[in-house]
Amino acid sequence: MDQIAGDLRLVSLRKEFGDFVAVDDIDILIPKGSFFALLGPSGCGKTTTLRMVAGLELPTAGQILIGDHDIASLKPYNRPVNTVFQSYALFPHLDIYENVAFGLRRRGVKDVATQVEAMLSLVELDAFARRKPSQLSGGQQQRVALARALINRPEVLLLDEPLGALDLKLRRQMQLELKRIQTEVGITFVHVTHDQEEAMTMADTIAVMNQGKVEQLGSPMDLYENPKTTFVANFLGQSNLLTGEVMDRGDFVGVKVWGNHIKIPASRVATTNAKVWVGVRPEKIYISAESNHAHDHLGNQLIGTVLERSYIGVSTQFIVEIPGFLHDEKIMVFEQNVDASEVMAGDQVRISWDPAHTFALDAKQDAYAGDVLAEAE
Amino acid sequence: MTSKKWVPYLLLAPGALWLAIFFLTPMFNLGATSLYDPSGSLESGYVMNGHVGNYADALSEYWPQFLRSFTFAAIATVLALVIAYPLAYAIALKAGKWKNILLVLVIAPFFTSFLLRTLAWTAILGDNSSFVHFLQNIHILPEGGRILATPFAVVMGLTYNFLPFMTLPLFTSLEKVDSRLIEAAGDLYSKPFTGFRRVVLPLSMPGVVAGTLLTFIPASGDYINAQLLGGIKNTTMIGNVIDRAFLERGAYPTAAALSFVLMAAIVILVASYVKRAGTDELV
Amino acid sequence: MSEEKNLPPVESLTPEMRKVISSQVTRRGVIAGAGAVGLAAFLAACGTKGTADTKGSAAPASADQSDSDKSLNVSNWPLYVDVDENDESIRPSVIAFTAATGIKVAYTEDVSDNNVFFGKVRNQLAAGQDTGRDIMVLTDWMAAKMIRLGWVQKFDKANVPNVEAHLRAALKTPSWDPTRDYSAPWQSGFGGIAYNGDVTKPVMTIDELFTRPDLKGKVTCLSEMRDTMGLVLLSMGKDPAVFNQADFDAAIEKIQKAVDSGQIRKFTGNEYAPDLAKGNIAACVAWSGDVIQLQAKNDKIKYVIPDAGAMLWSDNMEIPNNAKHKKNAEAWINYYYDPKVAAQVAAYVNYICPVDGAQEEAAKIDPALANNPLIFPDAATLAKAHIFAGLDEATEKKCQDAFAKVMGG
Repeated sequence: MDQIAGDLRLVSLRKEFGDFVAVDDIDILIPKGSFFALLGPSGCGKTTTLRMVAGLELPTAGQILIGDHDIASLKPYNRPVNTVFQSYALFPHLDIYENVAFGLRRRGVKDVATQVEAMLSLVELDAFARRKPSQLSGGQQQRVALARALINRPEVLLLDEPLGALDLKLRRQMQLELKRIQTEVGITFVHVTHDQEEAMTMADTIAVMNQGKVEQLGSPMDLYENPKTTFVANFLGQSNLLTGEVMDRGDFVGVKVWGNHIKIPASRVATTNAKVWVGVRPEKIYISAESNHAHDHLGNQLIGTVLERSYIGVSTQFIVEIPGFLHDEKIMVFEQNVDASEVMAGDQVRISWDPAHTFALDAKQDAYAGDVLAEAE
Repeated sequence: MTSKKWVPYLLLAPGALWLAIFFLTPMFNLGATSLYDPSGSLESGYVMNGHVGNYADALSEYWPQFLRSFTFAAIATVLALVIAYPLAYAIALKAGKWKNILLVLVIAPFFTSFLLRTLAWTAILGDNSSFVHFLQNIHILPEGGRILATPFAVVMGLTYNFLPFMTLPLFTSLEKVDSRLIEAAGDLYSKPFTGFRRVVLPLSMPGVVAGTLLTFIPASGDYINAQLLGGIKNTTMIGNVIDRAFLERGAYPTAAALSFVLMAAIVILVASYVKRAGTDELV
Repeated sequence: MSEEKNLPPVESLTPEMRKVISSQVTRRGVIAGAGAVGLAAFLAACGTKGTADTKGSAAPASADQSDSDKSLNVSNWPLYVDVDENDESIRPSVIAFTAATGIKVAYTEDVSDNNVFFGKVRNQLAAGQDTGRDIMVLTDWMAAKMIRLGWVQKFDKANVPNVEAHLRAALKTPSWDPTRDYSAPWQSGFGGIAYNGDVTKPVMTIDELFTRPDLKGKVTCLSEMRDTMGLVLLSMGKDPAVFNQADFDAAIEKIQKAVDSGQIRKFTGNEYAPDLAKGNIAACVAWSGDVIQLQAKNDKIKYVIPDAGAMLWSDNMEIPNNAKHKKNAEAWINYYYDPKVAAQVAAYVNYICPVDGAQEEAAKIDPALANNPLIFPDAATLAKAHIFAGLDEATEKKCQDAFAKVMGG
């Protein structure tokens, strides 16, 4: 078992349940020692992928490689992989000490006591060794689950929505703690979550999954700044997506949006189609009175009317209607609250942004894919 | 606040009243009967003279039947556990959509009377039944040997009749076992059997304790199985002795004393068992 | 005629089904109701504390309201009278009785066990009160006990001429009521030997039953002491109506030998019937009522009245003290001793009809019924039948204890 080491690679990995394709030929490389997140809405196949790595589901096809070893057909108990289960799955009949010692005892490891004590102090639960899981708080149980898995020094640690059951404040705290521990132990973490903020906070690399496929894989910043699909654009943060048609191509691509001319760097156009979605994040846009020309130098500009203005503390959010645009193509703008905004609801406004903050996606994609609010409607 | 104090007592009242009328009163009467002069009768009446000797007589005369009852009950309990555990395990954890149907099948025997079910076994174990012929053919039974009217038949009857009492508590406790715990055990280097032994078995112990008690207690007092499936030698259980003492011999003090001894013996056995099993340590 | 506890409701069964079930658990079995019986009998016993003097408190017929109140309360065993084929709650002979006499009958099937019934009525009878019953039907030994206790009333023989005229001779002089002043049999039955002709050659005597090597382990006896002991006493040339301690001990010893040798497989209530039918047991001490039902399905099942003699038991009608309708009760008894009526009942129940002349009447209904020797035995057979002695309390107990010991406790 010890010689199985190295990067984790999923090669053409596929899982079908009857007619339903849960995981559709995905290929992912997870470098040894990295913190990797599988992000996606429920039903996207991320948990099934994780369970295949853990050995709890058998792949329909494909390989799961750690280094050069294909572990896809190994039994869970023969894999150098451990899991932190959703809602922890701690053994209720064993105390904390025995829960943590469980894996060591099964492998016949000698100095159980030393290791368990060291692990309990890593997760700051020394004082609770003889308590039963039911006597601990949610956050404490979470750390026991982590300790119980980590103590086995696996090649890969799988975390299935590990923070889902915690309240917001505790979740934030545990995110940082998980990151600290991962850095400390240097084990490959594969973290499954539907919470984009959680994924972006902790992971070095994120794979966004949708309907069994990997939509896009990259660093948090890369995914956010340069989404390649409408799904990623909507699922990670919010995006304004406007109907556009490519007019000319060069270093900058010229796009016509309902009669307005918008420029986009060629590197940020993810399609060769002429029909595109023109995207821009709401916080990248400056909003000012129509008469104010301070942001004219940025390059992309539209004139419209403020329909709604809501003050939410860190920022003020505006919904701007542009004459000639489709009814649902209103533009959302977030303005940092540095000074009191000069713009009020009903005002004629000028909105401006840098072409470098613009991206273009294939118009064949659903403009609402990955938009949690829109999909729920 | 204080006006609400009586509410718990009020809630307790129906149960307490029920127990007082239908348990304590008969118990008291039974206790009193066990101390009557045994020379009395139903017709001439009994004289209460604190005849403790009834107990000594009951024990000295019928200890073999007591011993036999507990032995039979213990064997039947172990057999029922061995049969019911895999059954309950399969229904609770493996049956999927068949779960409810299988559960109904387990309970189905309850829909017919205990007596008729036991009578049906006289057909299954009968001297000319194919089961007995089979055993004779493979030389487990000698030629002309029989199953019916032997201790073996009685134990089989007990095992069968109390099987649902074993299966249901086991099912309930196994069903409560979170399947993710089994996955977690596998993830933590337990082979399937080790995972079962270290996780599922300990978590199902409350069911094991409940099932064994629900089987052992009625089995030790049972007399139908010995009556219908047993013979004379080595099959008479204490329940048969009590039955005959009450109904055929009219020996009420003896019967009452025997009933008390049986009750006391069961209470002692059960108490020491529960203490050993350490139910309070279990989740 | 069967104890129905733990069985499906009788109303919902076809006659054929009923036959199947009653063949397993019939009238005299105690097993089915034994749980309830145990408690009831026990409670009955509890009431007896310190009431040793229960005799002689009789205050007979004074309360008879028969002339003014044309009604009658009858307590009988379940399924012991003719019923309409389509509606179990209609009892043709009872309706005919009311039509003939104008006496309205409350017919209650509340006798399911002699001891339990005794527990129901003993307090009132001991205290000299009306039990609310005018007729109760009890088995010989319990009927004898009632007479011994002085709790039942003498018949006015002028009111029951049919009993005098038609009671079969063999039933006329039981030791416990030698002139039938207090009791009249409702139905009777034999305790004899039955064997399954499919698995054994004929078994004609108790000695064969107890010693023939080919029957070893395939013999059962009844756990009812009177029938088994009576047959054994007869086989030893003793009279079960008059026997002494030595006779009894010798009979016990004879049974013990057969138990020790493994000849006797077990002692049973009616549950021997299915075993006999299946051949698990080859021969046994058996009741005629059960065997009639077995014969309906297999004519190789034979019933034997040994030459040494068989036992004859009856369930007897008695009139409890202070019954409100004694004269009406006597009219009832007299009515059911009309051979025509008796034949009507015999056509429904499977027991020996105690009424002379009923056989001829039965022949008009159904010749097969009239020819069944277990319902209408001939005089020669009946002459071989004996009624067990009415035992006093102490003797009864001694006998039952000794017999229980042979049975294994």
